[in-house]
Amino acid sequence: MSFSFNDENSLKIEHLAKRYPHKKALLLPLLWLAQKQEGFISDEAMTRISEISQMPFMHIYSVATFYTMFKLQKKSKRVVEVCRTLSCELSGSEAIKKHLLENHSDTYEIVEVECMGACGGAPMCTLEGKYIENVTPQMLDEVLNAN
Amino acid sequence: MKIIVDNVPIECKEGERLIDVMLNNGVEIPHFCYQQDLGMDGNCRMCMVEIKGAKRPQIACNTFVCEGLEASTKSKSINAVNRSILELELLNHPVDCPICDQAGECKLQDYYMSYGLYDSHLTTPKTKKGKHIELGSGVVLDQERCVLCTRCVRFTSNITKTGELGIIGRGDSSRVAVACGHELNNPYALNVVELCPVGALTSKDFRFKQRVWFLDSAKSICHGCSRGCNIFIDYNETKYTKESIYRFRSRRNKQINKSFLCDFGRLSYKELNEKVISTPLPMEILKDLFKSEKKVAMVSPSMSLQQLQSVQIFCKNHEIELFSLPYIDESFGDDWLKTNDKSTNFAGVKELNISVNQDDFENSLENANLIINFDHTLLKEREIKDKKVIHFTTTNIKIPSEAVFAIANFAHESGTLINCDGIRQEFYTTKYKNEVPTLRELLKRRP
Amino acid sequence: MQTKIVSKNFEIPHANTMEVALQNGRYSSLGKLFSHTPQEVIDIIKASNLRGKGGGGAPAGAKWQLASDYEGKKYLVVNADESEPGTFKDRQIISKDPHLLIEGIISTCYAIGSNTSYVYVRGEYEEFSDILQASIDEAYAKNFLGQSAKYPVEITVHRGAGAYICGEKSALLESLEGNRGHPRLKPSSPEPEFYFGEPTLVNNVETIASVPFIIENGAEAYTAYGTDCSSGTLLFAISGHVEKPGVYEAEFGVSMWEYIEKLGGGVKGGKKLKAVIPGGASTPILPAHLVMEAKLDYENLKSLGSALGTGGMIVLDEDASMVKVLKNLLRFYHHESCGQCTPCREGTSWVDKTLDKFIAKTATKKDLEVLKLVSKSMNGQTICVFAPAASGVIDGFLKHFEAEFLECIK
Ligand SMILES: Cc1cc2nc3c(=O)[nH]c(=O)nc-3n(C[C@H](O)[C@H](O)[C@H](O)COP(=O)(O)O)c2cc1C
Ligand code: SF4
Ligand code: SF4
Ligand code: SF4
Ligand code: FES
Ligand code: FES
Repeated sequence: MSFSFNDENSLKIEHLAKRYPHKKALLLPLLWLAQKQEGFISDEAMTRISEISQMPFMHIYSVATFYTMFKLQKKSKRVVEVCRTLSCELSGSEAIKKHLLENHSDTYEIVEVECMGACGGAPMCTLEGKYIENVTPQMLDEVLNAN
Repeated sequence: MKIIVDNVPIECKEGERLIDVMLNNGVEIPHFCYQQDLGMDGNCRMCMVEIKGAKRPQIACNTFVCEGLEASTKSKSINAVNRSILELELLNHPVDCPICDQAGECKLQDYYMSYGLYDSHLTTPKTKKGKHIELGSGVVLDQERCVLCTRCVRFTSNITKTGELGIIGRGDSSRVAVACGHELNNPYALNVVELCPVGALTSKDFRFKQRVWFLDSAKSICHGCSRGCNIFIDYNETKYTKESIYRFRSRRNKQINKSFLCDFGRLSYKELNEKVISTPLPMEILKDLFKSEKKVAMVSPSMSLQQLQSVQIFCKNHEIELFSLPYIDESFGDDWLKTNDKSTNFAGVKELNISVNQDDFENSLENANLIINFDHTLLKEREIKDKKVIHFTTTNIKIPSEAVFAIANFAHESGTLINCDGIRQEFYTTKYKNEVPTLRELLKRRP
Repeated sequence: MQTKIVSKNFEIPHANTMEVALQNGRYSSLGKLFSHTPQEVIDIIKASNLRGKGGGGAPAGAKWQLASDYEGKKYLVVNADESEPGTFKDRQIISKDPHLLIEGIISTCYAIGSNTSYVYVRGEYEEFSDILQASIDEAYAKNFLGQSAKYPVEITVHRGAGAYICGEKSALLESLEGNRGHPRLKPSSPEPEFYFGEPTLVNNVETIASVPFIIENGAEAYTAYGTDCSSGTLLFAISGHVEKPGVYEAEFGVSMWEYIEKLGGGVKGGKKLKAVIPGGASTPILPAHLVMEAKLDYENLKSLGSALGTGGMIVLDEDASMVKVLKNLLRFYHHESCGQCTPCREGTSWVDKTLDKFIAKTATKKDLEVLKLVSKSMNGQTICVFAPAASGVIDGFLKHFEAEFLECIK
C-alpha cells in the first residue's frame, strides 16, 4: 500500500513550501494534512512525508509521537474528549466523564485530555475537535444522539 | 591560562569546555549525555558543578572556561545535587546489575557506588518499558535500563546521518526505538553499543560471554583497512582456557577514528582466535627447498614496519625477489573511515621500497619454482599449479602447499604501522604467551 | 472596573471581518506607524513599559531592540500556544478581534525589520485559527499584508499538535522547525531566539495586540494605566469556583479580591474562599488571607511568594481538597513534561505517583519527605523552567496547606 496526498492537499503543500525557509518545517503541517485526509497517520503517509520533508522516517515518527493530537492508529469510533484539568475538574468534569462512559462509549471513543484553553467554559468537551463548553449531561445527550 | 578545579590549578585554553578540561585532566565528573566526539546535549544534568559567583549549579558540559574560573565538584552542596539527580535517574531503572552485560563498565553503576545510593527513596511503582528489543545489526535494547542520554540517537542522526534511531513518546514514557518495519542498519551501527553509558544497548555478539572485569586490554590498531583505527583488544586467559579475544573497542584518537570503529573492523577480532595448524616440519626443510633456482616472495602489506624489515632482510640474504600488493576492495571504502585499501601498512611497504608492481610480480611468478608467502591473503587462496609454495601464515591455508608455518597474528605482536594519511602509529601485544612464534622469532632461526 | 484596551472590540458582532474591523478602528495606527522610523517605534514601546503578556513579564522593548540590532533576515513568531491551565485569553483575541493581532504584527515587524512572521497556534484551537486565517486572507486582499503592502509582511499560521511545552519559546521554535518540542539550553547572555539560525523575536499574542494602542495613542496613554512597574492592562481571566468565569481586561494593580467579586461574580454558590491560583497553574497558590491583600501586578504577587504569570486566576472554594487539587496539577505536569532532562522527566512522574498515595490515604511520613526532596531536585537543575514551576507549585501547597497532606498519612 502506498500513500499519496490528494490533489487538493498537494496544491496546499506546494503553497506551504514557499512559506518556510526549510522543507523540514513542513513536518507538522504535513502530518496534519495526512491526518485530515485519512483520519489517522499511517506508516505509508509518514514515508511520503519523509520524502517531501527530506528527513529520515524515524524523525517523522519520533516527532509524530511527541504530539498528543497526532493519531497513528485508525479510529473505529468518533472521538469525544473531556478536559480533566483543574478548572474543569472543579466544575464537575469527573461527573461528565462518568456520564459519557456510561452512556456513550458504545458509539464514541471517550478520551481525557489536559486543559484546552476553555476554562471559562468549564466543564468542556470536544466532539471531533469542535469545542462544546459549559456542558451538562443533558446537553451532551442531545448533541451526541443528534450527531 | 589557568582555572581552579577543586582547589587545584589546571592549565587550559580560553573557551574550552569545562567538562573537556576536567576529563583531560583526570578530574572525576559524572556525565551521561556528553561524549567528546558526539558533543553536548545537556539533558542528563549529571555534570553539575559549582561555579564561584554563579547563583545556581551549572552543567560543566555547557560551561566554557575563562580566566579565573573556579569550579567545585566535591563540595557538600554540589554532592547533594548530583546525588539527587542520580537518584531520579535510578528511579525507573531495574538495577539488575547481576544479569546486566554492562556491569563493570556502567556509569550508572559507578556513580551509584560513589554516591552511596543504596538506600533509595523509591516508594512508587516503576514505569514498565520494553526489554530485549532487537534493533538490527546485532544490537539489543533494554528500554528500562536506558537513561535517555540520546547518545545513540545523536550518533545515527549526526554522525552516520542514517537516522534509524529516535526517541518516541514524551515525558517519562519517552524511549529509544527504531520505527516499526525499519531497523538499525549501517556499517557503523555497533558504535552505539560502545557509546551507551549504561547497559541499555548491548551487542548480541558479546552479550553474556564474559564479565568485563575479567578482561585485560591491549592498545592496538585495527587491521581491517588502511585507516588504522585505534582499538583496545579485550582478552583474557583463565586457568582452564587459553588466551582468548572477546572484542575490539575503540581507543579514542582525535586525528583518526575519534571514538568510533566500523562494524567490519570491530568484528574482525574473531579471526584472531583461529587456531592455525602448522605442517609438522622444522624450519630446516627450507634449506633444501631454497636450493631451487628461482624464488619469489610476497609479503602482506598489513605487516608492521618491523616485520616487513625482517622479511626484507631475510629475502635479501637468500636472494629472494620480494613483492607486496595492496588489498584493494572497491566496494569497501566510504567517505568516512573505511578505505578501499584493506591493507594496514601499504604506506610502510612503499617506504621500505618493496616492489609493488603487479606485472613484475606475475612475471617473476611465472618463472619461479618456489614461492614464499608471508601471510598475503591473495596467495592463500590462489592455487598455483606445478610450483612449490611455502606459507608463513596467521590463518589456516586451505589449498595444497609445500609447507605451512603458523605465525602469531597482530594481537600477539607489537610494531609500527603507517596509515593511509601517513600517520605512524604503534600497536602493542597482549600479555599472555602465545603458542605460535612470531614471524621475527621464526625468521631468526635461519634455515 | 474593566479597562478595555485590547478587548475593546470583543463584544462587537463580526469584528473578525475586515469590514467591521475597519469601521472600528483597526489598521488606523498604521499611518502613525509609518511616520516613525523603526527605531522610534522601538523607543515608544520601551517608553510604554509594555511587558510580555505570555507569563514572564519581560520588557518587550528590550527584546525588540535585541532582534532589531541584528542585520539581515529575521523573524517574528507570535506565541498563541496558550496551554497554561486557567488561561484562555489569547483565544479571545484570535477569534474576536484577529485584525488587531494582524495590525500588531505589521507594527512589530516594521519595528524590528522583519518581513516574515509565524503565528504558532495550539492545535486544539482549530476553529479559532481558522478564523484568524480567514482574517489574514482578507488582510492580504486589502494589501495590508503581502508584497504590495506599504511595508511587506507575510504571516503564516502554524498549528501545534498538542504539547503544552511548545508554549515555551525555544520549544516552540523547535516545533516550528519540524522537531519534537524540546526546549533549548539557555544562552548565558541576553540574545534573541533563533529560527533556523536566524534571529527571531517571540512574543505572546496579547503583547503584540497591545502594540496598536500604544502606537496610536503614545506611550504615555499606556503608562497612564496600571502601576509604575506594571504599566497598562492585562486580559485577566478567571475560572474555577466563581459565578461568572471569563476574560475581563483590567488595569494592573487592581485588588485581586475585588476582581473576583466584581468581575468574577464572587465565589460560586456564596461559599467562602479558600485559595486562588493567581496566574495559571504554574504559579504558587495563595490562601484566602493573602488573596485579600493581593494586587494584580507583577511586583505585588511576587512579594506574596507567588507570581502574576498569565493572569489566569483559578478560584478554589472552602470545600476544595488541596490534595486533590495538587494531584490534578501534578498529573498535568507529568503528562506534559517533554521528557528531555532527567530531573523533570523522572521527577514529575514520581511526584504524581506519590500524590496517588495521598489520595488513597496510604501515604507515609516518608512520602511527604520524598515530595519535598523531589521538589527540590526539580528546581534550578533543568533545561527550562517547566520543572522549577512544578516545584514551586508543590512548595506552595505544602507551605500553606501541609495540614491537609498530613491528614492523608496513615
Ligand atoms: C513551560 C512554559 C510554557 C509557556 N507557555 C506559553 C504560552 O502558552 N503562551 C505564551 O505566550 N508564552 C508561554 N510561555 C512563555 C514563553 O516562553 C515566552 O516567554 C513568551 O512567549 C514571550 O512572549 P512575551 O514576552 O510577549 O510574554 C511559556 C513558558 C514556559 C516556560
Ligand atoms: S540506549 Fe543508551 S545511549 Fe541510547 S539513550 Fe539510552 S542510555 Fe543513552
Ligand atoms: S575503518 Fe578500517 S581500520 Fe577503522 S575499524 Fe573499520 S576496518 Fe578497522
Ligand atoms: S524541564 Fe521538563 S519540560 Fe523543560 S526541558 Fe526539561 S524535561 Fe523538558
Ligand atoms: S481546565 Fe479544562 S479547559 Fe482549561
Ligand atoms: S553531561 Fe552535562 S548534562 Fe549530561
